[in-house]
Amino acid sequence: MKGRAIRFIAGTVLRESLRRREIYVLVLVACGLIAVILGFDFFGIGGLTKFYREASLKVMGWTTAFAVIVLATRQLPREMENRTIYPLLARPIRRVEFLLGKLVGVLLAGLFCFALFMLIFLLGSLRIQATVPWGLFLQHMYLQLAMLAILSALGFLLSLVVHTDAAITICVLLYALSAVLATVLVHLYAYMDAVGRVLLQILTYAVPQLTLFDLSAKAVHAEAWSPLSWQIMLSLTVYAVVYTGVYFAGAFVLFRRRAL
Amino acid sequence: MSEAVIAVSDLSVTYGRGGRTVHAVDGISFTVSEGECVGFIGVNGAGKSTTLKTLMGFLFATSGEALVWGQPAGTPESRLRIGYLPEVALYYPFMKARELLELYGGLSGLDKALLRDRIPEVLAMVGLAGKGEILLKQFSKGMQQRLGIAQSIIAEPDLFIFDELTSGLDPLGRHTLRTLLLGLKAQGKTIFFSSHELVEVESLCDRVLIIHQGRILRDATVAALRAEGGTRGLEGFFIDLIGAAGGPQA
Repeated sequence: MKGRAIRFIAGTVLRESLRRREIYVLVLVACGLIAVILGFDFFGIGGLTKFYREASLKVMGWTTAFAVIVLATRQLPREMENRTIYPLLARPIRRVEFLLGKLVGVLLAGLFCFALFMLIFLLGSLRIQATVPWGLFLQHMYLQLAMLAILSALGFLLSLVVHTDAAITICVLLYALSAVLATVLVHLYAYMDAVGRVLLQILTYAVPQLTLFDLSAKAVHAEAWSPLSWQIMLSLTVYAVVYTGVYFAGAFVLFRRRAL
Repeated sequence: MSEAVIAVSDLSVTYGRGGRTVHAVDGISFTVSEGECVGFIGVNGAGKSTTLKTLMGFLFATSGEALVWGQPAGTPESRLRIGYLPEVALYYPFMKARELLELYGGLSGLDKALLRDRIPEVLAMVGLAGKGEILLKQFSKGMQQRLGIAQSIIAEPDLFIFDELTSGLDPLGRHTLRTLLLGLKAQGKTIFFSSHELVEVESLCDRVLIIHQGRILRDATVAALRAEGGTRGLEGFFIDLIGAAGGPQA
């Protein structure tokens, strides 16, 4: 495995993300949200500010997730449609290195976007002298990145199975329904027979529980919450690594012998 | 006898299209020796691109074997010393020409210091001197094709595989390319390319492979084919041969 090849391909993905205008539109959205936060504080509605900080943190998470899903699902189909893949794979690199480079690149772009959001959020919060619970806040950032890794790998896998638009839709649905699904599955479990319960368990493990990676509410209402223990953080890291690994392995199996 | 740089043996490539099986390449065998310049000609759909893509590992053999530098085609080891120009390729519009060559050079194992000197040199060789800092979205089709040639020679490989060599080039571009290829030939590099430009093939190649409906119809030196074609040269021979084989649609 050549780290050099992965680095070059990841650098290209990052460069593309930074040179396209989408990312700046996202930053403008963040700036708008912060402006509203400051606006609420200006009128002295302290309680609403807290609610709004939580909402804006969530919106920033959703926006980054959406950006990463779109970026990941478009990578391989666009390389094949534009035939830019030929000069790349004509080099002495393996397809797994190519795929890993793409994954790392998408994650770096996601990290850049998310870090930019968080910076703006922090500046806004500090401006209105809101308390920033650094422990929970940093844990939230870390877990969001772990979730982006799962979404990226899933995006790659789906883009090799279905059309790009369908892959984006499925990814977004899985992400959006993740919170609802977890609750629904728990409720349904009580009403199911043995076979139904097995099916629900399969579904529980087949679909990643992405809400586990969202600490936005805790990071804002910090007076009621302590930072997560290292054991929980480790478990969540393993959880993310397993799902990312499984989806990535699936993508590699499909891409390894694909005719180009 | 020189070493066989490319050795294809009983190679078949089959794929499904619209519910039917297409035998794009049907049991072909040939070799290309070190230092040779070999033209690969045939009508559209004859199996040229499929063969070249199989040599690069973009398509996979259904049966038979293809070796490049003694390694199975498509492995990173076999691609270590290949410069490849695809039939049609777009290059990342968000990159500058220099950045693109840095990417491909870097992936081929060249270090930054070497690339700093090599990139302007290669751009000048393909007639793009001073265009390194221009975004590729501003490049015309002909300039993109020249850049394609530049990326194929950036790492100074020993074997060149070009798919539709002169596609998209204006007469000046063709002249530049011909000069470049003659220079590579003089350096003892091995060149294997497909083209519809038979005059180009005739002027550059030592040997020609003619493929039709996935099978090699003829493998002979340019001099021999030219002699068979009489006053009409290689083009006359090619037209007669394809006609005798039932024409392009047979």
